[in-house]
Amino acid sequence: MDLIKKSLEEWQGGIAKSITFIVTKDCQLACKYCYLVGKNAKERMSWDVAKKAIDYILSHEDEFKEESVVWDFIGGEPFLEIDLIDKICDYLKMEMFRLNHHWFNSYRFSFSTNGLNYHCEEVQNFIKKNINHLSIGITIDGTKQKHDLNRVYKGNDERGSYDDVVRNIPLWLEQFPNSSTKVTISSDDIPYIKESVVHLMDLGIHEVNINCVFEDVWKENDDKLFEQQLLELADHIIDNDLYKENTCSFFTEFIGKPLDKETDNQNWCGAGKMLSIDAAGNFYPCTRFAQYSLRDKDAWIIGNIHTGINKNLLRPFLTLDRCTQSTQECIDCEIASGCAWCQGENYDAADTSTVYQRSTAICKMHKARVRANNYYWNKLYNKLSNLNAL
Amino acid sequence: MMKYLVILLSDQSTSFCYYNSSDNIEENKLMPLETLRNAIKYAFMEDLFIQFVLPPFSLPKEYEDIITSTKASIIAPSSTSYKADVMVVDGFLELNNIEILKDVSYVLRTSKKDFFEHYEEITRRIVELSRLNIVLTDIEDFKEDDFILYKQILDEFACCVKDITLSGETIQLNILTDRLVENEMNNCNAGCKTITLAPDGQFYICPAFYYAKEQPVGNLENGLMIKNSHLYKLEYAPLCRECDAYQCKRCVYLNKRLTREVNTPSKEQCVVSHIERNASSFLLLSIREHIIFMPKTEIKEISYLDPFDNIKNK
Ligand code: SF4
Ligand code: SF4
Ligand code: SF4
Repeated sequence: MDLIKKSLEEWQGGIAKSITFIVTKDCQLACKYCYLVGKNAKERMSWDVAKKAIDYILSHEDEFKEESVVWDFIGGEPFLEIDLIDKICDYLKMEMFRLNHHWFNSYRFSFSTNGLNYHCEEVQNFIKKNINHLSIGITIDGTKQKHDLNRVYKGNDERGSYDDVVRNIPLWLEQFPNSSTKVTISSDDIPYIKESVVHLMDLGIHEVNINCVFEDVWKENDDKLFEQQLLELADHIIDNDLYKENTCSFFTEFIGKPLDKETDNQNWCGAGKMLSIDAAGNFYPCTRFAQYSLRDKDAWIIGNIHTGINKNLLRPFLTLDRCTQSTQECIDCEIASGCAWCQGENYDAADTSTVYQRSTAICKMHKARVRANNYYWNKLYNKLSNLNAL
Repeated sequence: MMKYLVILLSDQSTSFCYYNSSDNIEENKLMPLETLRNAIKYAFMEDLFIQFVLPPFSLPKEYEDIITSTKASIIAPSSTSYKADVMVVDGFLELNNIEILKDVSYVLRTSKKDFFEHYEEITRRIVELSRLNIVLTDIEDFKEDDFILYKQILDEFACCVKDITLSGETIQLNILTDRLVENEMNNCNAGCKTITLAPDGQFYICPAFYYAKEQPVGNLENGLMIKNSHLYKLEYAPLCRECDAYQCKRCVYLNKRLTREVNTPSKEQCVVSHIERNASSFLLLSIREHIIFMPKTEIKEISYLDPFDNIKNK
């Protein structure tokens, strides 16, 4: 168990290059919070584009020196394009072997799916074929009520998708016993946080990765409500001993501390160290810079499958540090650690066309989270010391 | 803090830098007289030193009267008979045909191709000049071979300047001698110390931003409104603030064009500037083989030409 955890951490620890194929912009659902403003059924990646992208990447080994690679597939809903994905993955394996590429045997295929067609034959065949190199995340928002509030099918009746996802969870957990799920919280979701996290843990998902959206969506008092939900969640997890088997990323020991200007100056976000490719064959520093993810700004294209990557366009990302993009308030902030940002949202929300202006819409939510997090750990230590203060 | 106001008197005001003023010109628009007067008033109130940039044709008398009665420096194309502080020479053909005046600084704008073909013209005329600024107008097109050639040429220039120096004369050649006299960054500073007023009465970060049809950053009526203005400052440029190619223009216009960010330089700009920096060091050492020369100046030996490689390797 520990070993698996460790290797997972390494995978996520930045030594792996993450290369994302945006295989389709289509999805069965029309989630109400979906940030993909430009979602549509037309832009599907062709085999030709995928192959050219792979050929470019694998033939420039000296530019991709990371020890390992995560080939990531996203959409819309990636499994809508399972035939293409299967072909891409077969070709990748073959080519990495043929070229004796340093990523052969050091790769993973990764998916974020809505889980609706997880059980179908094509997807299952693909999973069985690649099981040792796969990570699959299924998105469930929480209880049926909460999930169906947002994650509804396209069309006028706005039918919820909870039942169709949940019936695939046992199979998923059987195939990937240590799976985690990712939950994103927006303003309307706040009242459901506690019950949703608890519900996911009850379903057998032991690692719940949850965070607030970076967009400026927060209303007055949202921070108070958020804090209240987290306190209730902390009580529930500790009082029912759920912490022994489960983790919820809202409670993380080392957040809420000041950060040093020199030693803790690194950028938080991986944009620029990753690579995304869309159906037109354009390269992006991260999917959030593709046009369909942006509200107000033009796409940030760093090259394409024909001309390759323009390295000058990557320089701003690779030289970006925390302090240069932060306000003085954030630099001096006593609880800055763990206060995250998304370079794409920073760009989208900035006053000029720059990635060097940090958006701080999340500020009051981070402050609330830090208070609840302090409460969680203090209460837990108390309990583990056989004291029962609360 | 702003210190200089560049006033483009016409849409055809000569380019003295990396941009082409002739791009995107639809008509020959002179700055209205009223605007010109207000611009001078603005400069007086904001305590800015004025730099007038002239077009390649004679200006109406009212304009000349205002210019000659204002304390300012004047940048003019060498094709005009105007006595300017800075004369802009467009290419080697023009360099061959002009009579060089003492106490005038010259800017030679040239493509890399012409520079590589005709650089010997510069060594030939260098003794006549008190100051020459060479502006390569297509830095973005430099390839590996060009870097090598550029280094060789600068080393040749260094030998030539060494001889002139040893003979007791002084000469200023921006790409070679500026680094010797700077002990901190002295860049173009567009957007933080210098701002440009275009004929349309609006402010731009520099003339290049006007010709590239970028958004203005204010106007005479309401003053400057530069969004994210801190990004033009050295402290907010992660590569440049650690760099010691002090003579580098750190051109925010090229930055924007080539990397999309005003505070992030392209590889080409950095490598060209480091070749110049290293040639300055070579010049310094070769003069010192003969005489005691600028004993306080030190240019360290470094192993990189692009500071980005340092960050990347960290
Ligand atoms: S956004 Fe707020 S909580 Fe986060 S670092 Fe800045 S001041 Fe601190
Ligand atoms: S930013 Fe400065 S160096 Fe660059 S073109 Fe404008 S004036 Fe010239
Ligand atoms: S050489 Fe590069 S890093 Fe140094 S000042 Fe010039 S542009 Fe900036």
